[in-house]
Amino acid sequence: MSEPKNNIAPRAAVGAVSKGRKTTMERRSFFSWLAVGWIGFAGVTGGFFTIILRYLFPNVLFEPPQSFKIGFPDKFAPNSVDISYKKDFNAWIVRDDESIFALSTVCTHLGCTPNWLATDNKFKCPCHGSGFRMTGIHFEGPAPRPLERFKIGVADDGQILVDKTKSYKWEKGEWENKDSFLKV
Amino acid sequence: MNITALKSLIDALSAPTISFTILTVIFPFIFPPSDWFEKIHRKSGLWRIWTKLGGVIGMILITAFFVIGYFDPYFNKTLTKADNFPIVLMIYSMWFYIWLGMFKAYRNDIRLDQGLKPNEYNDPDDKVLVWPDLVYIEFIALILFQVFLIVWSIIVAAPIEEPANPAATPNPSKAPWYFLGLQEMLVYYDPWIAGVLLPTFIIVGLMAIPYVDINKKGDGYYSFRERRVGMFIFMYGWVVLWLFLIIIGTFFRGPNWNFFGPFEYWDIHKVEALTNVNLSELLWVKWFNQGLPSNILIREGLGFVITGLYLFVLPVILAKTYLKDMYAAYGPTRFVTIMMLGLVMLALPIKMYLRWVFNLQYIVAIPEWFFNI
Amino acid sequence: MSDKNDKSLLEKMEESQVWKSIIRSGIPRTRRQRMHAILGSVFLHLHPARLPKHAVKVGYTWCMGGLSFFLFVNLTITGILLMFYYRPTVEYAFTDIIDLSEQVPLGIMRELHRWAAHSMVLIVWLHMVRVFMTGSYKPPREFNWGIGVILMVLTMLLSFTGYLLPWDQLAIWAVTVGSNMARATPFLGNEGPGAALLAIGDINLVHVGSDVRFALLGGRFVGEATLLRFYVLHCIAIPFVAMIFMAVHFWRIRKDGGISGPL
Repeated sequence: MSEPKNNIAPRAAVGAVSKGRKTTMERRSFFSWLAVGWIGFAGVTGGFFTIILRYLFPNVLFEPPQSFKIGFPDKFAPNSVDISYKKDFNAWIVRDDESIFALSTVCTHLGCTPNWLATDNKFKCPCHGSGFRMTGIHFEGPAPRPLERFKIGVADDGQILVDKTKSYKWEKGEWENKDSFLKV
Repeated sequence: MNITALKSLIDALSAPTISFTILTVIFPFIFPPSDWFEKIHRKSGLWRIWTKLGGVIGMILITAFFVIGYFDPYFNKTLTKADNFPIVLMIYSMWFYIWLGMFKAYRNDIRLDQGLKPNEYNDPDDKVLVWPDLVYIEFIALILFQVFLIVWSIIVAAPIEEPANPAATPNPSKAPWYFLGLQEMLVYYDPWIAGVLLPTFIIVGLMAIPYVDINKKGDGYYSFRERRVGMFIFMYGWVVLWLFLIIIGTFFRGPNWNFFGPFEYWDIHKVEALTNVNLSELLWVKWFNQGLPSNILIREGLGFVITGLYLFVLPVILAKTYLKDMYAAYGPTRFVTIMMLGLVMLALPIKMYLRWVFNLQYIVAIPEWFFNI
Repeated sequence: MSDKNDKSLLEKMEESQVWKSIIRSGIPRTRRQRMHAILGSVFLHLHPARLPKHAVKVGYTWCMGGLSFFLFVNLTITGILLMFYYRPTVEYAFTDIIDLSEQVPLGIMRELHRWAAHSMVLIVWLHMVRVFMTGSYKPPREFNWGIGVILMVLTMLLSFTGYLLPWDQLAIWAVTVGSNMARATPFLGNEGPGAALLAIGDINLVHVGSDVRFALLGGRFVGEATLLRFYVLHCIAIPFVAMIFMAVHFWRIRKDGGISGPL
C-alpha cells in the first residue's frame, strides 16, 4: 500500500521537479497548447458553419425584373387605384388629388396580398383582416404600419418608371421623399 | 324552439367575445383549481360531466351540432371541406379522450380518498408477457387504423385548389388547421410576438413543465384533485387557448378574416367598422389633447411602464403577498419561470379583451423599430 | 419413426435449418420462448419482455405513442412512393399532383399520405395529453418529455413543409403566411425588432436578401427555390432529425424506468 503513495508524491510535484528539463511539458506551456487546440477547434467548426450558413444564400436569384414602365401620367384617373400591375409586378398605382404613387401589394402584417375593395374605398387583407386606406395608411386589423411605396419617376421617354429596389416607409418619414411620389 | 331560432342563438353565442368569455368563466368550475371552485363544481352538478352520462351527453351535443350543421346550407360548405374533416375528428377525439382521462381520474380520486391504491396499481411481481399481451394489441390497433385510413382515403379526396398564383390571395387565406390557433393569435399581436415569441414560449413552456412542477403526486395514474392547479392551467392553455382558437379559425373565420357564426352566410362585403388605436394615441391625442411627442420613448413611455409593471413588478408583488407560500415552496428560479410563462400565456386573453373592449391595437407601438406589443 | 408422419407442415417447417436460422426460439409457445421472441428480435426488443398489467391496457396508454410511430413509418412508405411521380418544380409540381389521382392506378396514395399526416398531428397531440394526464412527465422522465415536445414540433413542421408541395393556392398562401412570421424574428428577420441595430454605418446587415426568412425560402418570396428547399426539408432533413430524436425517445423510455405507473 505504501508503494503507490511513493509514486504519487513526485508526480504531484511534477511541475516543480521537472523545471529545466526540456523533455517534460511544463504546466504553463501545456495550457498554452490547450488554448491553441481549442482556438483551432473553434476556428474549424466556426468556419465550417459559416460555409453552411453562407451556402443558404445564393449569389444569383432567378426572380422577375425589379423596375418597369407603366405608361404616361394621364393614363391614371384622379382618385383611382390601378390594379393591373398587381399580378406581374406586385404594385398598385394610385392617383390621388395631387400625386401618383406606387404601393407595394405586400400586407405589412404577414405579407398576404390585400384586395382593393372599390365600394368600401379600402385595401382589405384576407388573411387577418388588416385594412388600408387608398393612401396606404393602415386603419384596422393587425397591420402595424402602412403599406410601403416604391420609387417612382419619369423615364426619358416620358413614361412613368417604377423601381421596386427602393421602397419608402411612412413611419420613417420617407413619404416626404420626392422619389416616393410623382406630382401631377 | 324552432331550428332557425336555435341556429341564430348559436351564431350569436359563438362570436369570439361571447364564446371565449363563457368558456373562460366556466372553465375553473369544470376543472376546479381550488376548494371554492370545487364546492360549486360539486353543488351545481358540473362534476357529472366526468361521469358516463356526461360523456354520452357531450357526444350527443357534438353530434347534434354537426348534424344540424350538415343540413345547413352555409355550414355545410365549411364542414364538408376535405381539409376540415381532421377538425371534426379533433373535436370528437379531444372530447372523448379528455373525458376518458377525467373519468378515470375521478374514479381514482375516490379510491385515493378511501386510502386505496389507484386503479392502475398492480402487484409489481405479477407482470404479464409482452408477447402476446401487448404485441397483439399493437398489431390489432395498427391494422384497424390502416383500415380506417384506407376507407377515409377512398371516401374523401385530398383537396387541391387552383394552381399557385402569387398575385391572388384567396379570401380567406388560412394556414394549415394545426396552425390556425397561431393565426388567430396574429389578429391580436404583432408577428414577432405571435409568430416568434409566443411559439417559442409555448415550446419552452411545455418543456419546462416537468422542471417547474414540484408536485410529486399523480405520477403514473390518472388523478385530478392531487394536482388540480397544474391540470387546470394545462387544460386552459390546451383547450381554450389552442384547440378553441383552432375551432374559431376553422369554422368562424370567413372572408377578410371577419367573424361569421357557423350558420351565417359568408358575405364578402360584411362591414365591421373597426378603427383600432394604440395606447400612445389614446394617451396623448385623446386624453392630453395634443399631438404625439416626437421622441419615441416618451411617446410610448406609458406602454413600457405598463408592460414592465405586468412582467417584472407583478411577480415580485405576488411573491410577497398573495403567492407567498408558493414562493417559499418553489424557490426563486422556479417561481420566476412559472410567473414568466404564466403571465405571457395570460397576456393572450388580456390582449384579446383589450382589443374587443377598447379597440386597442398595441400597448407599445414603435413601427419605426418593428417593435409593437 | 411413425410420429414423423404425424407432424404438421408447420412443425416440419419449424425444424428446417432456414427457419431455425431466422427465428431462433421457435414459435413462441412456452413462457421462455415468448420472452425470447421479444428479446431476440431487433424490432420487438423496443419493448421489455415483461410489463406490469396496467401498461398493456389500452385504457391507460390509449395506444397513442405506438400509433404515432406506426404513422411515421406509414408516412415514410407512402411518401417514398409519392416521390416516384412527383417533381418539385413550379412547372411540374401541380400537374404531377393531379396526375397522381388520375394517371396512376389505384390513385389514393396521396390521400393515404395526407390523411395519415393529419392523423399523426392529432395523435401526437393526444399522446401528449395522455402523458400529461397520467403525470408521466414527472421525475425521472422530465428529459424524455422534452424530447417528446421536440418530436411534436417536428411533426408539425413536417406537415407544414409538406403543405407546400402540391403547389396550389392553398399551399403557397399557407406557407407565405407561415414563413412571413420568420421575417419578424428579433435580430434575424428584416422586419424584426433589433434588426436595424445590426448595421455597419449605413449598410444594414439584415435585409430582405440576408435574413432568416431568405434562408428558409431561398429567395425573396415563395417560389421555385422555396419549393425545392421545402421538398428537401420535408423528405430528408426533418425526417432524419425526427428519427434521431425518436431513437432517443424510445431508448429513454426504457432507461428512465419503463412505462410510468403507480408505485
